[in-house]
Amino acid sequence: MAEITFRNVTKRYGDTLAVDDTSFTVADNEFFCLFGPPLSGKTTILRLILGLEVPDEGDILIDGRSVTRIGPAARNIAMVFQNLALFPHMTAEQNIRFPLAERRMAEAQIRARLADAAGKLHIGHILHKFPAQLSGGERQRVAIARALVRDPVAYLMDDPISALDARLREEARVELKRMQREAGRTLIYVTHDQEEAMSVADRMAILEHGRIRQVGAPVALYDGPASAYVAGLLGSPAINLLPPGLLPGARGDAVQVGVRPEDVTVTPGEGAVVTGVEPLGGYTVLTIEAEGQTLRAMLRGQPAYAPGQNVAIGADPGRMHFFGPGGDRLAG
Amino acid sequence: MTRSPVFETFRYAAILLALAITLVPIIWMTSMAFKPVSEWQATGADLTWIPKRPTFENFRYLFGQSETTLIVALERTATKPILASLLSAGFGTLIAMGAGTAAAYGLSRFGSGGNLPLALIQLRLFPPMAVMIPVMMMWAFLSLMDTWWGLALIYGIVTLPFAFWLMKTFFDEMPREIEEAALVEGCTRLRVFLKITLPMMRAPLASATLFVFILNWSDYLIALLLTTRQWVTIPVYMSSLASSMTGQLYGAKAALGLIAAVPPVILGIMIQRHLVRGLTFGALKQ
Repeated sequence: MAEITFRNVTKRYGDTLAVDDTSFTVADNEFFCLFGPPLSGKTTILRLILGLEVPDEGDILIDGRSVTRIGPAARNIAMVFQNLALFPHMTAEQNIRFPLAERRMAEAQIRARLADAAGKLHIGHILHKFPAQLSGGERQRVAIARALVRDPVAYLMDDPISALDARLREEARVELKRMQREAGRTLIYVTHDQEEAMSVADRMAILEHGRIRQVGAPVALYDGPASAYVAGLLGSPAINLLPPGLLPGARGDAVQVGVRPEDVTVTPGEGAVVTGVEPLGGYTVLTIEAEGQTLRAMLRGQPAYAPGQNVAIGADPGRMHFFGPGGDRLAG
Repeated sequence: MTRSPVFETFRYAAILLALAITLVPIIWMTSMAFKPVSEWQATGADLTWIPKRPTFENFRYLFGQSETTLIVALERTATKPILASLLSAGFGTLIAMGAGTAAAYGLSRFGSGGNLPLALIQLRLFPPMAVMIPVMMMWAFLSLMDTWWGLALIYGIVTLPFAFWLMKTFFDEMPREIEEAALVEGCTRLRVFLKITLPMMRAPLASATLFVFILNWSDYLIALLLTTRQWVTIPVYMSSLASSMTGQLYGAKAALGLIAAVPPVILGIMIQRHLVRGLTFGALKQ
């Protein structure tokens, strides 16, 4: 039940610009991802929303009301910190109770909420343990339960599942997405994993050096990156950024041509040579060298290419992205 | 890794040496405390490790219950010096820990009092002797001479840098996200400190308190200069346990030493559980 707006917000730490004249709006009930490389300002944005940092310039609004000068307690936003920040001297149960007890909620109500959150996160059996006695995944669940248990206007999560291994992470993000829908609350989620961002987000913002480079639905960003930087961050294997002369059909005024590995066509012929083959089962990723450039092609199935083989490469000009000087997308 | 027998021999020899250096004086003092006059005055071949006729005579003497076997009657008993030591060291520790912890927290979290660390280090660079004459004048002017509260005040000031530096290190090590989580969950700054920070700091507080208390408890110089009759502390009182007729009253001194060892040991045992406990024990992901 909260729309969060940044209006020309700037935050400096000494000489470093952590957030640079940034404006964006997170819609109510949205699963919004902040995505970017380390030190691009993701965590600072969360801290500004929480009220742990005060912006040097600009305004932060929740539901149209400025909260820039309001302290963290009064903003009623729940947070899962990157390092979880569980209270080590309290059991899991005391940790989860803490936000409710601090708000002087009635004991019966606290119990009901606690049982509800514990049930959702399957942690009923570990409530009596201290954080030190829990595994990484269990701690993560307790931290999420502590955020879920009260009724905040929005949840913020700073890379909360990064400590899990790949398999558990996939399960966890599906679970998070489901919980966000059920709770019907705005969720702002920080991650450095592009696959995670794309799979859960309704919309995402791509950051670089404290600035938001592009905001939009993950697929829209993937298909229409506003710059070579955005194009390079999304997709795995990464997009091929090539000089315009390499592939037929590229616009002459482009400085760089972006072609997704899955859009590269490979046929037996001349002009390029296969230097690596990675069969992944459903797909095969080829590393190809052409005119001193290295590019990657992702082909369906298991085509019979071998390293050293000569091939011809191409791509549908309609699937190419053209970037001008400075890396910005060319119009048209 | 298997170690050579030579290495092992040296290792145990070193351990035994360390044990001897630390324990022999304590054993000797304990033994002496229970010896009658004839035994603690004995020399040469008459020396015994374990008292032949163990007695509480030395303790009775200290508290004025003696049957005059120690020749001279005491000018005053040990009761009040023990009280003086407890009060001055105890309250001095409270002052140092209270002010030191508050200052360390403020500096660690809000950066207030930026020059404080350096100023406090400078306070420590002075040998106490260098400032004791001015302090004596001030204390005389303030009517704090020969009072346990005057002594407690100077103890608190002298050990404040230790308390401050120890606590600052611990506060700096505590991850700020834990406090921030509590802020976000609806706490005021004061409640964060009382409900989160202080409980998490139990172990560091306990060890710093013990350290500061022992420093205050074992002071001789300051008490010697600032007290005269009413509120002399154990170390000062101990040095007076002699007379021209009898020389040093070693038996009584040993008994007093044994009594003086009790409070730090009790304090140590009380907080032992906290001394071995880690600081954050798994609040974070790492």
